[in-house]
Amino acid sequence: MTNIALAATVTTGEAVTFWILAPLALLGAIGMVVARNAVHSALWLVLTMLCLGVFYVVQAGPFIGMVQIIVYTGAIMMLFLFVLMLVGRDASDSLIETLRGQRVAAVLVGLGFAGLVGTLVARAVGDTTAVGLEAANQNGNVQGIAALLFTNYVFAFEATSALLITAAVGAMVLAHIHKPKSERLGQPETMRLRFRPGNYPAPKPGPGVYATSDSVATPGRLPDGTLTQRSVPEILPTRELSPRETAPKGTEK
Amino acid sequence: MTTPAVYLAQDPTLADFGHDPWWISLIKVVAAFVFAVLATLLGVWFERRVVGFMQVRPGPNQVGPFGLLQTLADGLKMAFKEDILPKGADKVVYFFAPTISVICAVTALAVIPFGPMVSMFGHQTPLQVTDVSVAVLVILAASSMGIYGIVLGGWASGSTYPLLGGLRSSAQMISYEVAMGLSIVAVFMTAGTMSTSGIVAAQAGSDRSASLGGFEFFAPGWYAILLLPSFIIYFISAVGETNRAPFDLPEAESELVAGFMTEYSSLKFALFMLAEYVNMVTVSAVATTLFLGGWRAPWPISIWDGANSGWFGLIWFFAKVILLVFVFVWLRGTLPRLRYDQFMRLGWRVLLPINLVWILALAGIRVLQKENSDAVRWGIIGGALLVILLITLAWPDRRKQPPRPLQEQVNARPQGSFPLPPMDLVVPPSPRARRGVAQRQPANVGGGAPDVVDTTSTEEKED
Amino acid sequence: MTIKFPDIDYAAIAPLLIMFGVAALGVLVEAFVPKRARHLTQLVLALAGLVAALVVLVTQAETRVVTAGGAIAVDGPALFLQGSIIVLAIMAVLLIGERSLEKGGPFVAQAAITVGSEDDRRQAARADGATEVYPLATFAIFGMMLFVSANDLLTMFIALEVLSLPLYLMCALARRRRLVSQEAALKYFMLGAYASAFFLFGVALVYGFTASVQAAPGRMAGGVDFATIHAAATQSPANRALLFGGLAMIAIGLLFKAAAAPFHVWTPDVYQGAPTAVTGFMAACTKVAAFGALLRVLYVAFDGARWDFTPVLGAIAILTMLVGAVLSVTQTDLKRLLAYSSIANAGYLLVGVLAGVREGISSTMFYLVAYGFTVIAAFAVVTLVRDADGEATHLSRWAGLGRRSPVFAGVFTFILLAFAGIPLTSGFISKFAVFGAALDGGQTWLVIAGVITSMVLAFPYLRVVVMMWLSEPGESTPTIAVPGALTAAALVIGVAATLVLGVAPAPLLNLSDTAGQFIR
Repeated sequence: MTNIALAATVTTGEAVTFWILAPLALLGAIGMVVARNAVHSALWLVLTMLCLGVFYVVQAGPFIGMVQIIVYTGAIMMLFLFVLMLVGRDASDSLIETLRGQRVAAVLVGLGFAGLVGTLVARAVGDTTAVGLEAANQNGNVQGIAALLFTNYVFAFEATSALLITAAVGAMVLAHIHKPKSERLGQPETMRLRFRPGNYPAPKPGPGVYATSDSVATPGRLPDGTLTQRSVPEILPTRELSPRETAPKGTEK
Repeated sequence: MTTPAVYLAQDPTLADFGHDPWWISLIKVVAAFVFAVLATLLGVWFERRVVGFMQVRPGPNQVGPFGLLQTLADGLKMAFKEDILPKGADKVVYFFAPTISVICAVTALAVIPFGPMVSMFGHQTPLQVTDVSVAVLVILAASSMGIYGIVLGGWASGSTYPLLGGLRSSAQMISYEVAMGLSIVAVFMTAGTMSTSGIVAAQAGSDRSASLGGFEFFAPGWYAILLLPSFIIYFISAVGETNRAPFDLPEAESELVAGFMTEYSSLKFALFMLAEYVNMVTVSAVATTLFLGGWRAPWPISIWDGANSGWFGLIWFFAKVILLVFVFVWLRGTLPRLRYDQFMRLGWRVLLPINLVWILALAGIRVLQKENSDAVRWGIIGGALLVILLITLAWPDRRKQPPRPLQEQVNARPQGSFPLPPMDLVVPPSPRARRGVAQRQPANVGGGAPDVVDTTSTEEKED
Repeated sequence: MTIKFPDIDYAAIAPLLIMFGVAALGVLVEAFVPKRARHLTQLVLALAGLVAALVVLVTQAETRVVTAGGAIAVDGPALFLQGSIIVLAIMAVLLIGERSLEKGGPFVAQAAITVGSEDDRRQAARADGATEVYPLATFAIFGMMLFVSANDLLTMFIALEVLSLPLYLMCALARRRRLVSQEAALKYFMLGAYASAFFLFGVALVYGFTASVQAAPGRMAGGVDFATIHAAATQSPANRALLFGGLAMIAIGLLFKAAAAPFHVWTPDVYQGAPTAVTGFMAACTKVAAFGALLRVLYVAFDGARWDFTPVLGAIAILTMLVGAVLSVTQTDLKRLLAYSSIANAGYLLVGVLAGVREGISSTMFYLVAYGFTVIAAFAVVTLVRDADGEATHLSRWAGLGRRSPVFAGVFTFILLAFAGIPLTSGFISKFAVFGAALDGGQTWLVIAGVITSMVLAFPYLRVVVMMWLSEPGESTPTIAVPGALTAAALVIGVAATLVLGVAPAPLLNLSDTAGQFIR
C-alpha cells in the first residue's frame, strides 16, 4: 500500500482502470434499468457494484472497496437473487403502463436530473485538486476508518444497532407465522385425515413406462389393465402428441 | 563467513510488495495458477485414494504410477464429451457461470503467503503474489463472489434440480459466510492487521506473555491454539462454504441428482470440479495462514533457525495444507450428509452465537491485558465470573422427569389413538413353536444340553 | 497510533439512552415474557420509560453542551423538542395500547398470515394484537429524539433511518383493512428510501464542499458536522454549487418527512392505511422531529446561505399550503382530510422556520407542540367512531353524529375549530405566533399566502362540523364507542392542552422563547 500516499495524483494505472471500468459501470446501470428479466437486471447491478468497489480501491479506499464487494455484491445482491429465483425465472416485468405517459416522463425527468447533477458536480469539482487523502490514510486506511468510527461518529455507530434490531424485529413481525402447539396436527389426526372417506390412502401409482413412451404424462396401467389418471400429476398440462411424434421412428421391426 | 542474519526468518512487510520487476510478478502469478491446477489434479487423486483406503479398497491405481494420472485421464475424457446446452437454458449466464466460479476460486490464492522473502534470480522478493492492507477481505470477497458461479449456474440451467441446488447454495453460503467472517474477526483483533503476511508474522512470536495478578501466562504463537474456538468455527464454515461433505447439500446426489451442475457437461462441468477443488485448497491455505502459522515451521523444527528462512517455508506450508485437505477428505469419508434444516440450525443457532460470545470474551481479555490498575482487572474478571454464575443459575433445568406409570401414559393418549392390546395380555403358546421344538427334539437329545428350549415346551414335558 | 475515546456527557444524553434501553428491553420482553402478560408488561414498560426520560430531561433543562465527539448537541431547542416528542409519544402510546374498543387492540396478531384466508378471519375476530409495536414505537421515539439533537449530518441520517424503519413497519400492522395498510407501508417505505437516498447524496456533496475547512484551529479539516459546514459556508474555496446542491438534497430528505409539497404524495395514503393510533403518532411526533431537524440544519449549519435558500423554501411553503388547503376541500375520507390538513400545517410551520429570527424558532416549536396535542386528540376521536367493520372514516358516515353523541361531536368540533385557527384555541395562538415571527423576519409574502390558505382550509373543517350537527342520523350512521381509560386519557390531555394553550399560552410561549437558542 505504498501507493496510497500517491493517490492524490492520478497515475496511469488509475486512469486506465477508470476508463475501462467507468463505461462498464455505466453499462451495468443502464442494463439494470433496461433488462426485462429481473435476474438479468440484478446481474447488471452486480457489475456496476463491482466496478464501484474497484473504484474505491483505486481511490485509496481499499477497506470500503472490499466491503462494498463483500456486503453489497456478495450478500445483499445474493439475497435479491434468492428472492428472484423463488419468484420464478420466467417472471418478466409487465410492460403495461398503469399511468399513461409515465415511462416517457420518467425517462425525461431522469435524464434531466442526471444532467443537472452531472453538470453541478462537473462544474464544482472539475478543476479542484483532491486534498486530505494523505492525512486520512496516514496510519493506514483501516485504522483511519476505525479512528473516525470510535471518536466522532461513535454515537452514530452505536445508534446503528437500533436500526439492526428494528430490522430483525420487523422481519420477524412481517414474515413469521407462529403456530400454537394446539394447531399442529398430531399423528392420530394425520391418520384420520388420510383414511377419511374420499381420500386415497395408498401411494399413487407411478407413471406408465412403455416402449413408446416413458413420459411422466403417460398414465400408468392398473392390474386390471385400465389406465389410471391418478398416476399423472395434476399440474401437468395434458398434451396431444404431434403427428411427427406419433409417426413410426423406423426403429420398430 | 556466514552471518547469522541469513538464517533469521525474513518476514515480508507490506512495504516489500509492489517492487518486483514485471517478469517476477508474472512468474509468481503463473506459479500460483499452476499450483491451483496441479492441486486439483493431485487433490482428486488424493481424495479418491484416501477414501479408498478408508473403505478398504485400492482406489484408482491403473493410470500412471499409483494411479497418479487418473485425474488427467478423466479430464481429457471430459474435454472430449459433447457439450450439451439445455433448451431452456439462459445461454449467456449458463456459459459464464463456471468461469465465474473458477476465476473467483483462483483469485483468492493471490494473497496467500507461500513463504518468506527469498532470492529469486537475484531479486529479494516475498513468496506471495501480492499483499494489501485488507488482504483477508480480498479472500472473503473472492469467496463471496464465487457463489455467483454456483447460483447462476443453477438458475441458468432452466430446470428444477439445478435451481433448487442454486437456491440451497445461496442460502448456505450467505449463512456460513457470516460465521466465517466473525471467526476471522478474532484473528484481526489479535493480530492487529488484515494483511496475510502480517498475520503470519504475528503468529511467529513465542515471546508473547500476559501477566495477570502477578502470574505470567505464556501465550502460544499459533492462532489455532490461541483462538481455538475461532479455528474450529472457521473450519466448519469453510466446509460449508466449499460445499463439501457433510455440507454438500447444493449437489446432494440422493436428493437433487447433482444439484446445480445437473445440466452441465464436458468442459463446463470440469470447470465446476476445478473450482470446487481449488476452493478446498484455498480455504485450507487460508486456514493455514490465519491459524496454523502460515509458512512457519512447526514447533520442534522451528528450534533450528534455518527452518524459517528461504525456500524452506514452502515445505511447511504445503505440509500444513495437505494435512487440512486430508481432514476435508476424512470428513467426507466419515460423516453422513446433514439434513438442510439441521444444517441451517447449526449455522445460525450454534456457530453464530458461540462466535459472538467468544469475540466478546476475547475483547474483554484484550481490555484486561491493556488495563494497568489491578482493581479494574479484578473487577472485570469478577464481573465475568458473576455473569457466568448467573447464567448457570438461571439455566433452565433440563433434567428428565421420571417416566409416568404405564396406565397414566395410556390414559393420556389422545382420542382415536391406535388401539392397544389389553395391559394384562398373556401371549398364548404358539402352536408353531411347539411343532418346531417337537421336530428339533431328537437332534438335541444326542447333541448335549439343549440350551435353547422354549419354556412352554419344558412345562409340557414336566406335565 | 492511539485513539482517544471522546468525552461523552452521559447525563445530557440520558433521555436518549433511556429510550434506547427501554426499546431493547422491550425486544427481550417479546422473547421471554409469556404471551398472556406481554401486552401489559410492554405498555407499562414503554410508559414508564417515557416518563423516566421526561423526568431526566427536566433535570437537564439547563444543560447546553455539544457532546459525544460533536455528534450530539444538547441545547434549548433540542431539549424542548425532545420533551415535546416524549409528551406527545406518551399520548400516542396510550392510543396504541387501547384494547377495549376492539378485541385484541388495533393491531393485527400475525402480519404474515395471508389476507382474507381462514386463519386471517379467525385472528381478526379474536387474536391479541402484536405486542412488537411497543419496542418498534420506542425505537422510533429514540430515533426522533436523536434526530432533533443530531449535530452532524451522518448522525442525523442514522437517526432518520432509526425513526423511519419502525414507522414503515407499524404502518403495515392494522387489524382491519390489512391490504390498504400493507400498501400504505410499502408506499411509505419505497418513497422514504428514495428520500433517504437524496439526503445521503446531499451529505456527500456538502462533505465535498467542506473539505479543507477547519471549524476551529486544531480540529480535523472537512467533515459534516454543523460547525464545520457553518465555517465552510463562509470560508470554503470550493464552488458554492456543491453547497447549494447538497442543501437542496438534504432539504428534500427532511421535507419528505415533514410532508411538504411536492414531497407530500405519500401522506394521504399512509395516513389512511396505517392504524389510526400510528397515524396519530406520525402526525404529531414525526412532524416535531422533522421540523426540529430542519430548524437545526437551516439555523445552525446553513445559516450563511440564508439569503439563498429562503426564496426556494418560501416557494415550497406556499405550494405546500396551497396543496394542503385546496386538496383537503375535495376529500371524502376523514383520515385523508386530516392528512391534507397536516400537509397544510407543514406549510405554516415552514413559514415559521423561514422567519429567520429567533422568534421563528420559538414560534415554530410552539406550533409543533400545539398542533401535536390537537392532532392526536383528533385521531383519538376517529378511533371511537366505529361500526361492525371497524372505524367508519368516510365523511358521509359522520353525518348526524351530533345528534347521536353530542359530547364527542362537540369535542371533535372543538378540535376542528382549533385546526381552523379560531381564537380561544391553541390553533389561533400558534398561527398568530408563526405569522408574527415571519412578519418580524420580513417574510410578508409568506404570511399573506398563509392567511389566504387558512381561510380556504377553514371550509372543509366547517363542512364536517355542519355535517355532524345539521344532518339527521341515518341507518348507517356508526355508533361512538365508549373510550377505554387509555383513549380517554389521551383525548382529555389533547383537548385540555388545546384549550389551555389557546386561553393561557404564556407559560409555554415563554418556555419556547427561552429555549429558542441553538448552540453550535
